[in-house]
Amino acid sequence: MSAVADRQPERRIRDPRELSEIALRLRRKVIELVAPTGQGYVQQGLGAADLFTVLYFAELRLDPADPDWISRDRLLLSTAHNTAIFYATLAERGLVPAEGLPDYCKDGSPFEVNASERLGTVIEATCGSLGQGLSVGIGMALAARRRGDGARVYVVLGDGELQEGQVWEAALLAGSLGLDNICLLIDDNRMQVEGHVDQVVKLEPIAGKFASFGWAQHNVDGHDIPALLAALDGARTTAGKPTCLVVRTLPGKGVPALEGILAHNLKLPADVAAAALAALSSEDAA
Amino acid sequence: MTSITTDGLTVQDFNQRGAAAAPNRKFYGETLLDLARRDPRIVCLTADLTLSTETDLFRDALPARFHQVGIAEANMVGLAGGMARSGEIPFVHSFCVFATRRCYDQIAMQVAYPNLNVKIVGVIPGLTTMLGVSHQAIDDIALMRALPNMTVIEPSNAAEVPAAVRAAAAHDGPVYLRLKRADGTETGMIEQEGVIPLGKLRLLRKPGEGLILACGLMVEQALLAADLLAAEGIAVGVADVPTLKPLDPGIAELATGLRAVVTAENHSIIGGLGSAVAELLMERGVRTGFARVGVRDVFAEGGTTPYLFEHYGLTAAAIVRSYREAREREGG
Repeated sequence: MSAVADRQPERRIRDPRELSEIALRLRRKVIELVAPTGQGYVQQGLGAADLFTVLYFAELRLDPADPDWISRDRLLLSTAHNTAIFYATLAERGLVPAEGLPDYCKDGSPFEVNASERLGTVIEATCGSLGQGLSVGIGMALAARRRGDGARVYVVLGDGELQEGQVWEAALLAGSLGLDNICLLIDDNRMQVEGHVDQVVKLEPIAGKFASFGWAQHNVDGHDIPALLAALDGARTTAGKPTCLVVRTLPGKGVPALEGILAHNLKLPADVAAAALAALSSEDAA
Repeated sequence: MTSITTDGLTVQDFNQRGAAAAPNRKFYGETLLDLARRDPRIVCLTADLTLSTETDLFRDALPARFHQVGIAEANMVGLAGGMARSGEIPFVHSFCVFATRRCYDQIAMQVAYPNLNVKIVGVIPGLTTMLGVSHQAIDDIALMRALPNMTVIEPSNAAEVPAAVRAAAAHDGPVYLRLKRADGTETGMIEQEGVIPLGKLRLLRKPGEGLILACGLMVEQALLAADLLAAEGIAVGVADVPTLKPLDPGIAELATGLRAVVTAENHSIIGGLGSAVAELLMERGVRTGFARVGVRDVFAEGGTTPYLFEHYGLTAAAIVRSYREAREREGG
């Protein structure tokens, strides 16, 4: 355990106000990245900004100077889709070169719409073929348990992704193994390609399903930073069970004109993008 | 393994081997355990088929490195990807059909694309099961060949398994290992020492006017076919091709100037050894009579191996017929 404790991020931010400010910067970056090309996820990115901020600035043990550190905590973005916010967070945390970000979605750029390991080992596995991330995470968690170095694995799944059967194979096994070094985060934004998740295949009660599979589980407001911090603290100290956090996020969060609009892919005309940036700036001022 | 008998009932399941097989060695399980004792990175995963895949030896000797994942092959392959990324060398096990077709996308994305050191190990190749079409892997070589970075190995008999396993372990990258366990029906086995050199055929009989290229169980049939042809005064060579990918490019030179080349495989004629050889010969401009022996683009049914091989044309006689047709087409 000491190997991990010795290498906490140099600044593990716990102050909700400071984390909020980071999340606001990341939201602006989402608009800036997506607006020029119309590629990538605006609504999902704005919705998950607080979650990614808390994960990368408060929770994960990573060393930007040594990205391949064997005992690092690992985060797998199983959908691989919500990349505008993901790349913005990685750049802000110093894990990928920020100067590459403007090439987001351009031909030849490693900042692809779907994250792949072309970007480097910070992409812990190439997902995007839905439903695979939790399985890979369990493999990493089992290897970490064998090493005994206290490394933890975080897997972010989209709520729609729960419709893939492999997720439940993995959930069954992790519960059966009592794998307490894995934390699953369901980005519960209610969106999938065809619309509202519950109009495609009903998922509720998500937490209840995981409970019945032997997981510790909690519903968390994805925009309540102290609640996110507390939930992750709880996951880290839960022994003998994996933890599933169902993180309710609001698509478009932070831009009043966009909040609540379920749009899987959203193009932002220049004037809408400018208005969104202005809205995110005024929140900063407030 | 001996059969379990209680109150006059005899337990027969996938784990049970025929009485004739009882003294047979677990060539695969013994070799894997031997390798794992020497390399602590090796871990073993099974999806409810521990005895069938001879991994009970590993489970009993190295339990901390053994993972029983339940009946969930797609999840198992994902786990293996995560373990390989954490410095381990996972060997994942199932029947050939479930180890490949059932989790093709997972193998593609979590093993082959990242070029990880994961070994996919399948038992029950082709038409070697009573269980029928659900359990018959007639497309597994084709599927695994199609994946970039993947190496595909099929030893010709149980005694060649140890050399194949050592070759798989020595190769740093994804491998599909297609195995037939020893079950007491083997004849004339001579255990291969060392490792199978990857990408090299094993010439068992030098070419005369023609050549039979075979893999797996069909190597034995190819030798029988060569004998039958020799009795007719037709001298043909026989080669075992244990590495289906990468294919030995030397096949092109070996086939140059021959009247006919026939491939034989316990697999569909589409996408396996026959396809691979045809692609190579065509690309190298080697003109020769050519025929493929294998499952002719049909699904099969349950039955004994001799019955199925006879019914679907995987026999020495079928190889002989195909050879004659190929040389006649070529104007012989």
